[in-house]
Amino acid sequence: MSEDRVVEALRALSEQDASREASPEVEARLRVQFQSRGRRRAWRRTAVWATAAAAAMVVFFAVPNRKPPAPAPVRGVVTQPVVVQPEAALAVPVKTARRVRKSATRPQEVVTDFFPLMDPAPPFERGQLLRVELPASAMQMVGLPVREDRLADSVQADVLVGEEGLPRAIRFVSFELK
Amino acid sequence: MSESDEKLLGRMLEGDEEAFTALYRRRQGPVYRFALHMTGSAAIAEDVTQEVFLALIESGRRFDGSRGPLLSFLYGIARNRVLRRIEKERVTEPAGEEYAGGEDLLDDLTRRETVEQVRRAVLSLPEAYREAVVLCDLENTSYEDAAAALECPVGTVRSRLSRGRAMLAQKLASHMARSVT
Repeated sequence: MSEDRVVEALRALSEQDASREASPEVEARLRVQFQSRGRRRAWRRTAVWATAAAAAMVVFFAVPNRKPPAPAPVRGVVTQPVVVQPEAALAVPVKTARRVRKSATRPQEVVTDFFPLMDPAPPFERGQLLRVELPASAMQMVGLPVREDRLADSVQADVLVGEEGLPRAIRFVSFELK
Repeated sequence: MSESDEKLLGRMLEGDEEAFTALYRRRQGPVYRFALHMTGSAAIAEDVTQEVFLALIESGRRFDGSRGPLLSFLYGIARNRVLRRIEKERVTEPAGEEYAGGEDLLDDLTRRETVEQVRRAVLSLPEAYREAVVLCDLENTSYEDAAAALECPVGTVRSRLSRGRAMLAQKLASHMARSVT
């Protein structure tokens, strides 16, 4: 059989199947997926803006050596900046392995590991750790699971701010009564 | 003039559902048929089509226009899914009733019989030759675009196509010989 005859036979097959296509159900399912992804993206955008806005507020109000001296911390948003050594904090295993800090007077505080906010991160010498309140949707931004009905709830987080005032990393905090 | 695939993709990635629908309706047919001719199964072809466009929704930003047109990108995703399915399920036998048409004239029966022989012969080709034949001969994809989809040089596509056709000629000739005797 010659190659021309083969090509002719293939053309016949191609013509016979030219109108074959996926069923309308596939399109319907994909459109649902597309819409649900759109909603997830909207939440993520909100979380990013909320994080950025909170971090900017924190930096504006709480970074020391400002002139005039920094105002009192905003109640409910920022408490007691703490100077930390960043190298240890930024060694980021991005899993939800948890560490526990004990306190005699307060409920036990449970924190996640740090999640980097800059990629790639510029060199880092010193920084400050600032406690902020964010919507729970911010946790989704770093890949942590959050129930849909809890996205608008507030959660506490520690933002690691570099000397130049840029937020470098974030970790989330919860409290357990024991 | 209709909007290019790449422009539709850009709008789709911004969240425009209308653009996604237009792109899907334009390109689902070729993707579906590629999977159908590679596996012989309409059910798998549907699954693969859905997976390909889901992948486009999730990671459409990975598309790089300098490496080929969007359809080649979609064929590339479909190819990976199809090869995975073939590996997993070893599907090559088409279900006869899936391809039955509405005509019942004798000539059409003869023609359909021939077409079904060709389909079976294509499905019996080794995957590397089958995908070249399906893309270039059944979907009329250019050698360049097929090379982009198959991630190989154009020369490789040409040689696989030529070898695939030769194998088909052999298979069809032996089938015809069996029919005569």
